[in-house]
Amino acid sequence: MGNSKHLGLFLLAPAGIFVFLFFLAPVVLTGVFGFTNMSTATGITGGSYMVSESALRPLVSRYGEDELAEQLREKVYTIDEDGLVAAIEAGADATAVAELEANFLGESFGSRRALETAIKSLRARPSTTREIKAISAQFQKSVVNVRFDTKDEMLAAIANFGIGLNEDQKQRLIEVAYTGWVFTTQNFKTMIELPDTQKTLINTLFYVFTTLILFNTGFALVLSISTHYMPTRPAGFFRSIWLLPRVTPPVLYVLMWKWLAWDSGFLSVVLEPLGFAPRNWLLDSPANAWTFIILINGIVGASMGMLIFSSAIKAIPPSLFHASEVDGANRRQQIWHIILPQLRWPILFITIYQTLSLLTSFEYILLATDGGPGGATEVWALSTYLKALQNYGGALQYGYGAALSLVLVVIGISVSLIYLKLFDFKNLTAPPKIE
Amino acid sequence: MSGNYRKWPMILFLGILTAPLILMYIYLFVDTITNTPPGSMIPNELTLEHWRFLTETIPGRPSIWLATWNTFVFATVTMAIVLMVSSSAGYALSRLQLPARSFFLGAIMVLHAFPTVTLLIAIFLILQMLGLYNSLAGVILVKTALELPFGIWIMKGFYDTVPWEIEMAGIQDGATRFQVWTKLVLPQVKPAILALGIFSFLSGWSEFILPLVLAPDNNVQVLSVYLAALIADDQNFDMALFKSVGVFYVVPVIVLFVFFQNRLMNIYSGGTKG
Repeated sequence: MGNSKHLGLFLLAPAGIFVFLFFLAPVVLTGVFGFTNMSTATGITGGSYMVSESALRPLVSRYGEDELAEQLREKVYTIDEDGLVAAIEAGADATAVAELEANFLGESFGSRRALETAIKSLRARPSTTREIKAISAQFQKSVVNVRFDTKDEMLAAIANFGIGLNEDQKQRLIEVAYTGWVFTTQNFKTMIELPDTQKTLINTLFYVFTTLILFNTGFALVLSISTHYMPTRPAGFFRSIWLLPRVTPPVLYVLMWKWLAWDSGFLSVVLEPLGFAPRNWLLDSPANAWTFIILINGIVGASMGMLIFSSAIKAIPPSLFHASEVDGANRRQQIWHIILPQLRWPILFITIYQTLSLLTSFEYILLATDGGPGGATEVWALSTYLKALQNYGGALQYGYGAALSLVLVVIGISVSLIYLKLFDFKNLTAPPKIE
Repeated sequence: MSGNYRKWPMILFLGILTAPLILMYIYLFVDTITNTPPGSMIPNELTLEHWRFLTETIPGRPSIWLATWNTFVFATVTMAIVLMVSSSAGYALSRLQLPARSFFLGAIMVLHAFPTVTLLIAIFLILQMLGLYNSLAGVILVKTALELPFGIWIMKGFYDTVPWEIEMAGIQDGATRFQVWTKLVLPQVKPAILALGIFSFLSGWSEFILPLVLAPDNNVQVLSVYLAALIADDQNFDMALFKSVGVFYVVPVIVLFVFFQNRLMNIYSGGTKG
């Protein structure tokens, strides 16, 4: 069977390619991106060089190059072909422009006033100050806000401008003028310093543990134990109903909750006669928002526990139940002494598995409250998404978002490894029997 | 099962807990074909007006049929690739002598538990760099990759239950391992392939976050993104319309769920989402 090894690798290869491209590469890249300042402002490929106001500010604040910054900000007025064409287009008198070309082409003026004096010296000089200003504006030259593809082009343009730079200044200017992304540890400093981070962290812990205890294990146990004490038909009916939320596409499932909660929805209509003003119950207060978030996620989560616990209860030998009944055990004693001890491993499994899913999934929260009201239900996973992929206010901060998700990736890998250790890995890897 | 206890208290108890959920689903369907006066919950007329979106394209949105087609392509192609790749990789992991086999198994199990949604930002940037952003192909590849650990795991589990004797007999008769796999073992795991196929189809059909982030444009939009955009538009709030689009969207899911409920129950206990 010498070819079985090759066949195996051949059969595994497609899966390997997928895993490499969409698991390994993203894990590594999340780590890499987390240490960059990548955003929509820097672009995701290389950047260009531009002496903008935001580049000049750090030049002064970080390096104390006030003088250089002033020089760069300075505007120079040079008579060149482009300017002459622009002047004609701006409506300047053609004779005056021709004269300007003849007398001053190639000349530079240090200030606008000097250029305007020269314009006034023309024989065909424009009659009003406004016209003179309209012409002089066309010749203004500056390196500020011009985009250069390479640093050499930028340095050459600055040299042309008559600004001499020493090596230090060149390096500093290249650094501040670069518009692409750079490596930095700033994301992690920001993460620690921002008060939002702490709030998000507290939200996350509250959300994960409340949902986990009340629903993913608690309510799941209620469902599986109560259906255990029912005839098969109603038990199957209830299990199907409680499986529905998991099968229903998330967008539609959350829409049903919105219908329940919106200001002319079910709750508002039903509660109005009882003296509660109609309102959007989903977003009117943080407490209500959390109630809904936990219900929405919990009911989906409970179905998984329900299925796993139910099959574990089914695996208990019926003779145990019969014997305990003969001995006069009541239902509570059966649950406590027979069912729950059998469920120890399934409960551990669900707890670990669901902790991880709750910690990292944000789909339902995004659809239901989008973190609102006022960030009250923003959890860590949602915050990575909002920062990096849906920032209405400003640039999408890929780097910062990646740094935030790196935290989850590290937790994810560690918990998955624990999971691997706990759930009898040896049995799963028993060697093949045909070799 | 235990005959000595009264059953109706349990049924009543769970019935009360379940009632709100049933109510939500009943109103989901009722509201799409009726009108209800404001301040009441009891419909007073039948109407088909909420289903206009099937013939008239809603301004600023792609046609519902384009979105349906996109969703269908997305779900079917994802299902096909998941089935092909996981049935071959699952067999290799279950039955063949591989170098570093236990490493591969461990890796698949870790990936299965690993929360892939945390990789979204990196995947988004990778697709941008590959030029696959805003294309169905890109989002299909990503969805397939994320479904694979689960698919391989399930298939491996099913292959493990196929008796070795079948393969031994095939080998005795002079078949190669590859022939044994395609001719003898694959037919044995048909139920698994069916279950995994339905599961990945449904999972693709319901997927929201990936298309939202990776392919949001009108011409590649899928129904989940279409419906979410409709709901998010504050200018045109029309709950009955949202519900009708939602019901339209969920029909294939309900059909598959009704027919294949038991198979799905089995596979859902393998668990993929919180």
